[in-house]
Formats: sequence, structure tokens, C-alpha cells
Amino acid sequence: MIAALQRLWARTRALFSGRRLDDDLAAELAHHLEAQTADFIRAGLPPEEARRRAHVALGGIEQTRELHRETRSLPWLEQCGRDLGYALRAFRRERGFTATALLILAMGVGLNTTVFSLVNTVLLRPLPFPDASQLVQISNGDPANPAQGDLSAIASTVATWEGLQQTTQAFARIEAYDPFSVRNTFRLTSDAAEPETILAVQVTPGLFPMLGMQPLLGRMLLPEDATREAPPRTVLTYQLWSRRFQRDPGIVGRTIQINRTPVEVVGVLPPADPFTTVFFPAVRVDTYVPVVTENSRNWGNTLALIGRTKPGISPAQAAADLRRALELTKERLPAHERYMFANGVSLQTAVAGSLRRPLLFLWVAAGLLLAIVGFNLGGLLLARGVRRGRELAVRAALGASRGRLARQLLTESLTLVAIGSAVGALLAYGCILLLSRRTGVEIPLLQAVRLDGSALGFTVLLCVATGLLCGVAPAWRLSRADLQAALNADGRGTTGGRAQVWTRSTLVLLELALASMLAISGGLMVRSLMNLLRVDLGFRPDQLIAVRIDPVAEQSEAALNYLGSILERAQALPGVQAAGFTDCIPVERDRSWAVFPINPDHPNERRYDGAHVRIVSQGLLRALGTALIAGRDFTASDDAKSPAVIIINRTLAERFWPGQNALGRQVMVSHRTPMTVIGVAADVRHGGPEVPSGNEFYLSMWQLGPGSFDLMVRTPLPVRTLTADLRGALREIDPTLPLTKVRPMSELVDRTLSSRRLVAALVGGFAVLALGLAAIGLYGLISYTVSLRTREIGIRMALGADGRSVRREVLGKTFQLASVGLALGVLGAMALSRLVESLLHGVSALDPSTYAVVVLGALGCVFFAGYLPARRASRVDPMIALRAE
Amino acid sequence: MKKDSDDKLDLLQGTLDLLVLQTLATMGPRHGYGIARRIEQVAADGVALNQGTIYASLIRLQQGGWIDAEWGASENNRKAKFYSISARGRKRLAADTETWGRLTGVVQRILEAGPDATTP
Repeated sequence: MIAALQRLWARTRALFSGRRLDDDLAAELAHHLEAQTADFIRAGLPPEEARRRAHVALGGIEQTRELHRETRSLPWLEQCGRDLGYALRAFRRERGFTATALLILAMGVGLNTTVFSLVNTVLLRPLPFPDASQLVQISNGDPANPAQGDLSAIASTVATWEGLQQTTQAFARIEAYDPFSVRNTFRLTSDAAEPETILAVQVTPGLFPMLGMQPLLGRMLLPEDATREAPPRTVLTYQLWSRRFQRDPGIVGRTIQINRTPVEVVGVLPPADPFTTVFFPAVRVDTYVPVVTENSRNWGNTLALIGRTKPGISPAQAAADLRRALELTKERLPAHERYMFANGVSLQTAVAGSLRRPLLFLWVAAGLLLAIVGFNLGGLLLARGVRRGRELAVRAALGASRGRLARQLLTESLTLVAIGSAVGALLAYGCILLLSRRTGVEIPLLQAVRLDGSALGFTVLLCVATGLLCGVAPAWRLSRADLQAALNADGRGTTGGRAQVWTRSTLVLLELALASMLAISGGLMVRSLMNLLRVDLGFRPDQLIAVRIDPVAEQSEAALNYLGSILERAQALPGVQAAGFTDCIPVERDRSWAVFPINPDHPNERRYDGAHVRIVSQGLLRALGTALIAGRDFTASDDAKSPAVIIINRTLAERFWPGQNALGRQVMVSHRTPMTVIGVAADVRHGGPEVPSGNEFYLSMWQLGPGSFDLMVRTPLPVRTLTADLRGALREIDPTLPLTKVRPMSELVDRTLSSRRLVAALVGGFAVLALGLAAIGLYGLISYTVSLRTREIGIRMALGADGRSVRREVLGKTFQLASVGLALGVLGAMALSRLVESLLHGVSALDPSTYAVVVLGALGCVFFAGYLPARRASRVDPMIALRAE
Repeated sequence: MKKDSDDKLDLLQGTLDLLVLQTLATMGPRHGYGIARRIEQVAADGVALNQGTIYASLIRLQQGGWIDAEWGASENNRKAKFYSISARGRKRLAADTETWGRLTGVVQRILEAGPDATTP
């Protein structure tokens, strides 16, 4: 065993000391032959004969040396090394070809691996929880009203949760989190550092264990933490722990101050927090606290329910069980609380369902790009294969063995693919790192995207196949043909050249078709994005800054006074045009309450409608830039002592009192007192540019009571300046005000478009690359045909044709070829339009102007690809061209 | 085994290593030519030894650490490489000799066995 290893080691070493070993052997053999010859002479042979017999007895110096080499070293490896050396030398000779091929390969492999990895992580692979297929989202949406898709429709009441838990038979557990709590912020103060605004998400203690999550330090939340009597306890995210507490291992058991309340840290989560990546992408969650059901029992729909089915339960069984459990739950509740639903959807669908189409489209786009890469590489290799074929034919004629040549061709093409793929893998790695670091993109699991080995493998295999098919096969065929034919194959107008032109034309044609298809789709996506950026949101996000303010006063009145004086000072700041509080930033928070109009003739008639509610101060509408169509804004005196007032939006006014004046009429919100309409405001797109606005109303914060608010400030000042100015102005009121959550509104609006922007940017980028590749392919082909026709062109010029007509002819041929490709591309894009349609906004999938722009742009590329060879053709010197034969 | 004078035996695969080891064990350090001559002499020209194959065998044995090599001066004062058997080589020689003996014994028995042979 040791001897075998020692020998292997010696053989490996011998790879690198071949010359010394050869010299040693030569000396030994010289001595051997000399001694043998001397012995033969002694035996009576003539010296000449003795020398000959000595060689015969040895069996030949060359053979002995060969045998020695094979024995002492690893001949197969040595051979490979030599082939690799040849390949690298060949690449160095053909720098242009090598660089182009490598670039194309790296791009194809890199981009495709990136996109496949993304699609795999978000759509195809199970969610990052154990037995993720058992997880079901249980939503409270009214199936009769599917348009109602806001959070209030997803969330259920505490009563629903408890009822379902007790009556279900198909679910092992049903747990919950409070989706609204992600918008609640708190003030974290600790001894050393500045106070800061943090985000605490409320979860039921059983949620994380159900999702299979383990703490890094300490423990998770327990049922006994979720009671009113228990001291406040929290689990920190790894991010907060490292940022704020420098990964202090002694944090567990310590008390931190949240809103000046001591809270005990019971545990720390590991760095990868699958809950946040899945449920709150693009949000930085800091801590988790328990849902205390005793507190939130009467708060309405506050819990998003997630269940885990027992093993072996089918989706249909789970749905039937939910229906049954819901009926049982309803029976226990008073009549007015029975408006509830329990729709089970697999968690995977609930999380990534809306991204399915954009990502599938991205996948198709990447696939098209991969095809173009393949065709382009194929064309390049074909051209090179013919050149190589002639060289190989010569070598075959000079006695190189078939196997030897085949091995070398293989080595060359595999080396090319290997280097290209390695660069591509690096590129993919970089792209993925870049993507997963983009915390502002609302794509679930984006942070979990990793380089996908199978995707990389698949792409590389495809490139290897292309290499074999287009690089090795033609060269191999040529090297087997007889020398004469092979040497002529590239020659003037023979069948070999024509066949190649035909194949390459087909490839280029396909490339152009796919590239224009991609460009049209990309153009449509970009147009949609531009349309969305122009959508009137009902407010102006530019020069608008949201400053999070968390009051810490316990008393309601004190807190309101505190907020009131902050508002006064903020409004008085130089550079501030308008400012107002809202508890609910448009495009970020999403909440609706029930509301109905009071009909003075039928006081008992109740026609409930859901409407988005914002609790605001005076000045908010002006700060947002939302028009007040009729009536007045709130004032500071619309407080608890004065009559209850409400501002409604145009849609709600039209719904309640179509064609009539809404001012002065009364509405009832939830179970509060009647409120008088004092103003009608313009509609706001609360869900971002893609979601149409609905019913909305505004209530006065002075009447509703305090909470955490965002101070919306309209100002041309940059964020940093505003923060500093505010800090100065508010120091007297509250020296510990954190002011760490100050965000430009335009960023928040951008975030709602982030996944669309990402897809549009990627598809657009792919389209540009694709057109570029197609142009390169076309250029290569036209150059080749021109070189084939040098003699013909020379004769025509000798007979009096001028450069212009030659140029025109070459360009004409180019456009002829290109127009077929483009026509195919347009047809392809029309076929693709069905897939694209649902991703577009404000533009038809068959939009003629986009098609026209892309076709014109592509023709521009075609012109450049054809013009350069055409110019070369027109400069052919007849004398040189004719002599060249 | 009988043999015709003009019918030399081809060496079985692997036996050359054994012969080389045995030669070095009985004769002490030798150079390549010396080993080849010694094997030919002992075999009384009964084997068709391709002398060149000795060198493949020698490098193989040397790489496995079964023999050592050293440059020295030959009897006619020329530079030559002298090989000597190592401790590991002696161990292998003993093992291989034993294996060889058993193998030839078995082959012999099978070849000589009559129709009514039983296991001894």
C-alpha cells in the first residue's frame, strides 16, 4: 500500500523531471550497449556485428526509452498536458477568435446561470422551511370579492385563529404573525449608543418552531411570554444583535429599553432568517415580540395565519377541513362577528404567486439569449473549424494518427468551454451576490439566492455540445477528406465554402429573429415601466420626506401635545413648504376599516364598505400634494372636544352620494360616533402605481388618539440637511428623539416598482446583448462571403463596376438576409405576446410603435454589420484579387 | 517442463520484477547490464529476454522503494548506475517467491492430474 502510494507520487513527480530521467536512462543505455558490445567482441564477433547484436539484444533504444517513460510516469496525463499546451498556443495565435468566443461563452453561462438560480430559488425550489409543502396560508378574503386584496383581507381575527386551532383536524398546527406590526416602530434606547428607531414584528410563540427555525443564542418565544402578565420579552435578529450590541454573547437575559419600557432579551436568531426573507423581503426587521391575544382580541383582523398540515393531507382535504372548522368556529361566535373566511393556499403560491409570470418571462428571455449565444458560438466555431480542418488535413497527410488529431480537437474545444465557463461562473457568482445584496427589491427569497450548480452544469453542457457539434465535427470531417479536397474546401466558391455559408446564414438568421423577439419584449417591458413612472399617484413623491416619530409619553394627552409641538416646529422650519402627520404612508401601509353613510331618512340602514383609512394631522394633504377637491382640511382644533369630522376621497364620495355634494353629510366608521364630512380629497394610489385607488378616508389624529406617526415633509432640502435641522429644532422638546428612520418618499415608490424594474432592466440588457451578438454574427458571415467572392468582385471591378455598386450589392445581400430574420422575429414576438401581455401596463403586447422602433434599431445594427465588409469589398484591388488565385 | 532449444519462453507479466529482485538479493549491487546478463546466464538462454525491459522494471522497483540506485564506476571504470535491494524489496521478494511457488505448484498439479484425482 505504502509502496503503491510512493510509486504514484514518484510517477507524478516524474511528469516534471522527464528530461533528467531521460538523460539518466541515456547514460545507462550507453553503458549497457558498450558493455554488451565488448562482451560480444570478446566472444569473437567482429566489432560491427557485435554492435548490431547488442542493439538487437536490447530491443531498440527508442522502444526502451518509450517503455521507460510509460512506466515511470503517467503517460495519459502527460499527453493531455501536451495537448493543452498546443491548444493554448493555438489560442494565442488566434487572439481575436479566442477573445470573442470566451466573451460570448462567459456571458451566456454567467447570465443564464444567474437567472436560472433566481428562478430556481424563488419559484421552483421549496421554501426554506422543513417540509415546506405542508405549509398553508389561511387568508380571510371574501371569495365573492376577489379584488379586495389588501392586508386586511388576508388577516383574520384572534377569534378565528383560536376557533380554527381548536376545531381543525387536518392541521397539525396553525400559527400566526401580525402583518401590520411590520409598520410599527419603536424607540430603542440603550446606555451606550444613540437611540434608534427599530421595527418589531409580532409573532405567535409557536410560529418559529412550526417553521423549523432554531435560535442562535438563548431560546425562542414561549406561550408564557404571550400573556399580559408576563414581563415584555423579545428575540433579536442577528442583524440588530451585531449592529447594536456588537454580537455580545451575554445579551441573553439582559434588559433593553424599547419605548422606555424594559424588555428582556431571551434569544438571538441566526444570520439567515428565513421568516423575513420570505414574508418581508426588502424590510429590515429588528426584533420579534409575542402576539398578546388578550390585547388584540378586539382589534379586528390582525393575524395572518399559517398552518402546517398533518403528513399525508392533500390540499383538497385541507381546504375541506378549513371549511368545516370555519363553520364550527362561527357557531361559537356572536352573529355580528361571523363575517369571516378561511381560504387555504399553499404558502409557496401565496409567497411567489405574483412573481410567477415575470420570472417565467425572465426565464424565457434568458433561454432566448442562451440560444443566441449557442448560435453565435456555433457560427464562430464553424468558421474556425474549416481553417483548422485544412491544417489537420495537412498533419494527417504528414502521418499524424486519427486518434491523436481527434484528441487534440477535443482538448481544444473543451479548454475553450472550460475557460469560458469558469469566467461565466465567476460572473454569475458576482451577479448573484449583487442581486442578493439588493435589499430594496421586493422579491421574496432574493437574499437566499445562491449559485445553482445544476443550472451552471446545464448551461456548460449546452456549450460543450455546441463546441462538439460546431467546432469538432466539421474539422474532423475535413481532416478525413482527402488532402486535395480539404485544402480546397475554403477555396474559392467550392461546395465546402457554400455549405458553410448556408449553415452560417441559417444560424445568423435565427440569431436575428430571436434577438428582435427579445428586443420587442424588452421594449414593451421598458415602455410599461415608463408608463408606470408617469402614473398620477394622487400625491407627489419628489421632494417629500417621511420622518418616523415614536412618542414615548404614556398619557394620551401628553403624547398628543408632544406630537403637536413637533408638528408646529417642523412646519416653521426654513425650507419646509408643508408638513403633516400620517400613521399610514401611501404605498407602504395597507389597512382598511368598515364605513357606511348615515341616511337621515333610514337611520338603521347599514351599507358597509371597506375603505383605506389614514389617521392624519392638518397639513398632511398639502405636504403629500394631494388636492382637496371640496371643503376644508383638518385643523388643530378638530380634537376630542369638538364634533367628529372626516375627510373622504372622491371615489368614496361618489360611491355614497353619486352626483351629490358630500360635504356636511354623516358617515359611521366602525363602531364610533357619527362623523361629519368636512372635505373631499383627490384619490391616492395607496398600493403604488400598479394598483388603482379605492375607497379612502382620513381621520383627525387629535380625535383618534396618539400612536407612531410619519411626519411627511415637503421640502427641497436633502434628507441629511432636513434631519439635522429637525434635530436642532426638536432638541428642546425631546433630546432623545432618534430620527434614524428618515426616508425619501420617491424611494418608497420606487420599491413598489423594484421587481418590475429588475425584470425590465434584465430583459432590456439581454435584448441589447442579443442584438449585439446577432450583429457580430452577421458581420462575421458577410465578411466571409466577401472573402469568398474576392475574385468575382475583382473581375467585376476590372470590367468597370465602381465601388459604390459593389458596396450597394453587399449591403443589399445583408439586408435581404436580415429582413428574413427580423420578419421571423416579429412573428415570434407576436406569438410571445400572450405571455407578455399580463406583465404590461398601458401598452398593448402588439404595440406597433414598439415593434417599429425595435425593427428600426435592429436595421441600424444590420447596417453597421454589413457596411464594414461592404466597404472592404468595394476597395478590392482587381490586380491583387486576380493574382491571388 | 520440457523445452526446445529454439523455443524460448516469453516471460510472464510481472515475473521480471521477481527475477530482478532475486538477482540483486543473491548477487548484491549490480548495474542494469549486469542484471540482464545474470538472468540470461542462469536461465541458460532459456528465456527471450528483451534486455530493454529490464530498465522499465528497474525504474518501477525504484519508484516503489523496493530497490535503491546509486551512480558508481563499472568494472571497466565507466559511469554506471548500481542497484541494490532494500529491506522492503527483500520482504516483497519473500512474499512473491512464496506466491510464485504456490501458483506453480497448483498449476503443476492441475496439469498432471488424472481423471480420478481428488483433493489431497
